[in-house]
Amino acid sequence: MPNNYFNTLPLREQLAQLAKCRFMDISEFPDGVEALKGKKIVVIGCGAQGLAQGMNLRDSGCDVSYTLRAAAIAEKRQSWKSATENGFVVGTYEELIPTADVVLNLTPDKQHTPVVNAIMPLMKQGACLSYSHGFNIVEEGMKIREDLTVIMVAPKCPGSEVRNEYVRGFGVPTLIAVHEDNDPKGEGLALAKAYAVGTGGHKAGVLMSSFIAEVKSDLMGEQTILCGMLQTGSLLCFDKMIEEGVDAGYASKLIQFGWETVTEALKYGGVTNMLDRLSNPAKIKAFDLSEELKLIMRPLYNKHQDDIINGTFSRTMMADWANDDVNLLGWRAETAETAFEKTPAGDVEISEQEYFDHGILMVAMVKAGVELAFETMTAAGIVADSAYYESLHETPLIANTIARKKLYEMNATISDTAEYGCYLYNHACLPLLADFMKDIKTDVIGRGLAVDDNGVDNARLIEVNAALRAHPVEAIGTTLRGHMADMKKIV
Amino acid sequence: MNISLDNLTVNFEDRFQLDAINWQLNDSQHWVVTGANGSGKSALAAVLASAGENLSGSIDGLPAKVGLVSFEAQAELIEAELKKDDADIMDVISEGTPVHEILNPGDSNQKLIDELVDKFSLQSLVERAFRKLSTGESRKVMLIRALASEPDLLILDEPFDGLDVHTLEMLQEYLASLVETVPMVMVLNRFDEFPDFITHIAYVDNGRLQHKIDRSDSKAYNELYQLLHLKTTDLQVPAADPETAIPQLDPTQPLVRLNAINITYDDHKIIDSLEWTIERNQHWQLSGPNGSGKTGLLSLITGDHPQCYVNDIFVFGFKRGSGESIWQIKQFIGYVSTALQWEYKVGTGLRNVIISGFYDSIGLYTKATDKQKQIADEWLALLGMSGRADTPFNKLSYGDQRLLLIARAMVKHPPLLILDEPCLGLDDMNRQLVLALIEKICAGSETSVLYVNHHPEDQIKGINNYLALKKN
Repeated sequence: MPNNYFNTLPLREQLAQLAKCRFMDISEFPDGVEALKGKKIVVIGCGAQGLAQGMNLRDSGCDVSYTLRAAAIAEKRQSWKSATENGFVVGTYEELIPTADVVLNLTPDKQHTPVVNAIMPLMKQGACLSYSHGFNIVEEGMKIREDLTVIMVAPKCPGSEVRNEYVRGFGVPTLIAVHEDNDPKGEGLALAKAYAVGTGGHKAGVLMSSFIAEVKSDLMGEQTILCGMLQTGSLLCFDKMIEEGVDAGYASKLIQFGWETVTEALKYGGVTNMLDRLSNPAKIKAFDLSEELKLIMRPLYNKHQDDIINGTFSRTMMADWANDDVNLLGWRAETAETAFEKTPAGDVEISEQEYFDHGILMVAMVKAGVELAFETMTAAGIVADSAYYESLHETPLIANTIARKKLYEMNATISDTAEYGCYLYNHACLPLLADFMKDIKTDVIGRGLAVDDNGVDNARLIEVNAALRAHPVEAIGTTLRGHMADMKKIV
Repeated sequence: MNISLDNLTVNFEDRFQLDAINWQLNDSQHWVVTGANGSGKSALAAVLASAGENLSGSIDGLPAKVGLVSFEAQAELIEAELKKDDADIMDVISEGTPVHEILNPGDSNQKLIDELVDKFSLQSLVERAFRKLSTGESRKVMLIRALASEPDLLILDEPFDGLDVHTLEMLQEYLASLVETVPMVMVLNRFDEFPDFITHIAYVDNGRLQHKIDRSDSKAYNELYQLLHLKTTDLQVPAADPETAIPQLDPTQPLVRLNAINITYDDHKIIDSLEWTIERNQHWQLSGPNGSGKTGLLSLITGDHPQCYVNDIFVFGFKRGSGESIWQIKQFIGYVSTALQWEYKVGTGLRNVIISGFYDSIGLYTKATDKQKQIADEWLALLGMSGRADTPFNKLSYGDQRLLLIARAMVKHPPLLILDEPCLGLDDMNRQLVLALIEKICAGSETSVLYVNHHPEDQIKGINNYLALKKN
């Protein structure tokens, strides 16, 4: 196996690459899809992301077709059906790759090495290879033919939203990057920008980053706050409520839909707004709990970031790939057997506000997770914009998947890489929080504070409000949310 | 008093006909009869005073004494007075009937007449000949005469028209004092003139009694308000925005040309080798049973159907699949459907929903210009929704949402307006509202309308090209 690319770079180059991230203004896209006009785009893989991006690009005037493995075509698998029914030309690698000016590799991480090895010899001289995640380049050290341009265009939303937002006339925030070792004609940036326009991303905001910053921040976010924290929090909160005699159906519903509800407030107005939804005594309680959680969990966040930066994480995971995913599949089965997962949400009415009032601990966990992930990433040299997208911004998207079908849905929607990291986090975090959970009662999870009046100490409230608002994730969040023209509620 | 009109059809000298009227009135109710000009609202009120020739059905329970004030009754009386003036022939100067005789044809309450003459300040006119009065003065005489006859039913057709403010207030007050004494039926077409004591509203359109509404039903009341507003307002369809103008199309080219079109799902052909050309300024109606591919066909035109890339389609100067973007296509189309309404689940304010029509987006992602805001406000006024510019779209009733989406589709004056079953899921009142708006649009612009429906009663004036799909 080739070397971890990041580890081959000198420190100053590592730091420079990690720090790459700039929010692009819509005025930087005056040429639209011009750079892709007349070029033949071939998409490898037709899953949700591949289909959505291909349809958007075609509706933007680009020439798009799909290439699948010969077996997928011969057996008329779902990917073949999706592409064909939508009126796309579908062909084998041998048929289509040699004709392509731009090849979009939208297969799962795990397949990147075999896929890229299969297509590279077939690619036209001087063509462009695009990724939507840099794992293959950065962690696996894949070397791409020198004449090929290598770019990344990564919409920061699931495929269904990539398509739906485009149809509405908008788009989703998108990260673009050029692999500087593979930009022989200096056209990488122009191609990446045109591609982002073709999928509608430029309307919602484009971040110009690097392969390295994307990989190191993406892995960190998904393992910790996005998936890990929500999984661990779900299991701990559910078990605590059952232990304290809360109705199981109620407990299951409070968690399944609670993450979505409280993080909706996060999406609109950051951590501050999420806590402002609580009564003053509950806000102070949530703040105190989150401070305690941050103290306990900080070493774990540091460890995840360190393992990601130095390649330990990817090496361990790739070893599991080589071992037929034994760990991943085992952990997935374990999750399916947890009490939370097996208890259906009860048929009880929970008002929007009640999710906050009865879920103070959940609010505290989201706050602690978002802030820790953000602090850890920025401490590792990742700039605030990237860290914001990979922590706070994506949390509501993941919470939505839990609302649909609990942890099963979350782990089915996210990549295998994210899922693997999520389980690592969960296994470490559950015992870490065991003592903390002993002191937790239903006033902060399940039943709400039992107070006669909502009075609080002025000085303490001012302190808490100031601390919330002064956190750096709030400053960058306010700026970036301002860029995203219209945060609309889709009910 | 219990009046009952049962499936009544009344002919008015072959000029007008009221059809199949079913209506019950009793003496605890006070009605307003309303509708657009020429709808038959005055005729309906007059039927209660035994006007017209009953062709079929029945009317029962009419009281003996009916007081009627209307322009028709006033005109009749004046005409009768003029006929009396045959003086020219006799070479005798006739002054005609003096006002006091008109006021009291015989058995009226003279004390009440004097009181009312006082109230209407007509003292100086009682000796004058009726036919010498001005229109306003003779109207007052008619009112006094009807009120003083102490009727069992009082019918007042536009009683407030032409009265000065002072008299109007006095009359309203006086009528309010009669609420316990006599049931009233008033013909009015301005909602702000409806007196507070009115308990029911009858809405007449095209010679039919379309709606009978209990005033306490505020939802129905508001919808009726809008309907009447659209039917009676002189507001025109607001102009397009010159700054966001749609590019000019080649006038020699059709808007749409579909050549040997196929739509296939799971090996099943829904549309098989269809040819269809929509020329400029043609209005079309597309019909066909469920599953015959109506919506699929439309979405080939709008570019929302993925199979538009595997068919021979020419739209607005573009051959599909030749490097054009769907936004270049959509700029020429205004589109309304139930599906769009389902997708448009946003909390965007009404003004911005209309403005989003300039950008063909669901929700608004661009800062609107002042001109666009002004145009949107003109549309809101047309719809009777002024003052609701910032109301979230998802807080509107289903029918109001549909109206607003039609305004959104029309705001840019597209060459082609596609209305895919615009009345689907709407109740009768809202259906009429939508049709009234569409007719207004058809009359006031150069937009070709492509109208899809399968309700034969939802016809739109001016459509004369038809395409009927069969189920394959």
